[in-house]
Amino acid sequence: MSDMFLRRRSIRRRAFDLLTAGVCRSGFLFSMGLIVFLIAQIIFRGGASISLEFLTSPMRDGGLSGGILYQICGTMILIATAGSVAAPLALGLALLETEYVKNMFARRTIQILIHSANAIPSILFGLFGFFALVKMAGLQKSWLAGGLVLGMMILPTTAVAVKEAIDAIPSAYREQAIALGLSKPKEIFAVVLPRSFFGLITGLLLGLSRAAGETAPVMFTACVFYGPTLPHGIRDEPILSLPYHVFNLAQDSLKPQAMQNAWGASLVLIMIVSCLSLTAWGLRRHQMTEAWR
Amino acid sequence: MTVPDPLRRETPLYGPFGLFHDPGWGTISFTQFGSIVAASLALGSFVSLIGFLTYLSWPALTQKGVTLITTGVWYYPREKFGALAMIYGTITSASVALILAAPVGILSAIWIAEYAPRWSRLPLKGAVEFLAGVPSIVFGLMGVITLRPVMQEFSGGGDSLMTAALLLAIMILPTLTTLVEDSLQAVPGDLRTQARALGLSREEAIRKVILPGARRGIVAATLLALTRAFGETIAVYLVVGRADNRLPESLLNLQPLIESGQTLTSKLGGSEVPMAYGDPLHMGALASLGLILIVITVFTTFLGQMMMGSPEKGS
Repeated sequence: MSDMFLRRRSIRRRAFDLLTAGVCRSGFLFSMGLIVFLIAQIIFRGGASISLEFLTSPMRDGGLSGGILYQICGTMILIATAGSVAAPLALGLALLETEYVKNMFARRTIQILIHSANAIPSILFGLFGFFALVKMAGLQKSWLAGGLVLGMMILPTTAVAVKEAIDAIPSAYREQAIALGLSKPKEIFAVVLPRSFFGLITGLLLGLSRAAGETAPVMFTACVFYGPTLPHGIRDEPILSLPYHVFNLAQDSLKPQAMQNAWGASLVLIMIVSCLSLTAWGLRRHQMTEAWR
Repeated sequence: MTVPDPLRRETPLYGPFGLFHDPGWGTISFTQFGSIVAASLALGSFVSLIGFLTYLSWPALTQKGVTLITTGVWYYPREKFGALAMIYGTITSASVALILAAPVGILSAIWIAEYAPRWSRLPLKGAVEFLAGVPSIVFGLMGVITLRPVMQEFSGGGDSLMTAALLLAIMILPTLTTLVEDSLQAVPGDLRTQARALGLSREEAIRKVILPGARRGIVAATLLALTRAFGETIAVYLVVGRADNRLPESLLNLQPLIESGQTLTSKLGGSEVPMAYGDPLHMGALASLGLILIVITVFTTFLGQMMMGSPEKGS
């Protein structure tokens, strides 16, 4: 009897085992199929409209013909501004938190602030930028306002990456610096900064790859659909950008030509974003192999 | 007269290119000063974001009070500002998205972590993370071109909360998968070997050892994906229909789900924002929508952080 019982149980266990494997596999195949479908769609539809002329000529006929030269330039200007705003602030924030603030309560407060800033949806940065920077501070709709808003948005990501890199410095390095009689600033410049440099760059690139694709923060603060070319001054000069371009074309979904240009612009945008995040990924691997030595 | 200190060293140079004298112990160094300035700018910008939105929303908060979140009629020419329909839209679209995405995401994460051949993990993770990094506007474009006609076919309305929910489900799926996979990988490999050595089948090892070990990580990943769904603007804006004041008669009535709706984010992304400038009450009402959104997302994030942070209880 017990033999029967065991055998039946083992059949049930085996069935469950196979069933689970099958269910997991089908879930995986489903999401993999979705991924392949999406990537194929982007590449085929976008690839069809990309040409040298598309990349190097300005937009014409409200996006129905012509290229996306100034949209690419605008996106580059925006992320360059965002990066130069975010990098020093994130570095300072991480240094203050890891090197200078010894009070646990203050440290905890800083961390909570950074984490909740990371949770704020991007549209709220746009809302804040529009009312505070564009209207009340008088920046008007300009690349500067957009860059500041994007910089604010990626600051938490960057600061967390720097902080993690600083935390990963082996304590022996610091001990040696202290044993050599280095002052705190010297310790920072000799040990902390060189050792966390890749962390800063990685975090910054990851943040920028997000900033490059965001539409919500810039649509009220920096971008217009047509008109401007390259900015001449720092204020009152709205610019074009890739995500906002796609956003406007997408609302015109009945015109096939508009759609084709939208796919082309999306593919270029994705290539910019993946270049940034691939570089970040490569640097992180470099950093990891460095740490093993 | 000051006595010279025999132990005092020549003040050495430090800083970029040796530009600065070391001010010595007890004074604030240039480095410290710089990081204090940078950090207070950074923290100040976050605090001022929340403070400024509160300041803007003050007229609406004092004049309208709780009716902002208890009534569902938003019609700004008549100064009617009730956000309930938008809160409903945000919460339903994000929850439906999560209900659709979570099973698929968790199952595929289990497959990648436990069943997939070792060599295929890196490329698989790469593909999933690539998709997690695709900008939301591209998903929005796909929603407009691919998903909307399909939904038109099925439910009669191309732009609806359901379309938004499906699109959100696709958008949060990669994020969810990669985060869940990370937390499954974080379970020590020894546990797997030991469970199998004790004679547990693969399924039993996963169900009884690995999933309990990764439970907190999985819940945290789910909440993080939910936060992303709450805050997503552009993709939702393109497919949600942006029709105000659609509230169901009862909570169980799912009719509004397949009709055009409005979420907090799609309202804030719309053309009402530039129009509202100058009218304190209207601006205040929009800013309080922002505050409601912040409260929802920050609350969800902290729930996730708490899950992630608190130590696993021994059982």
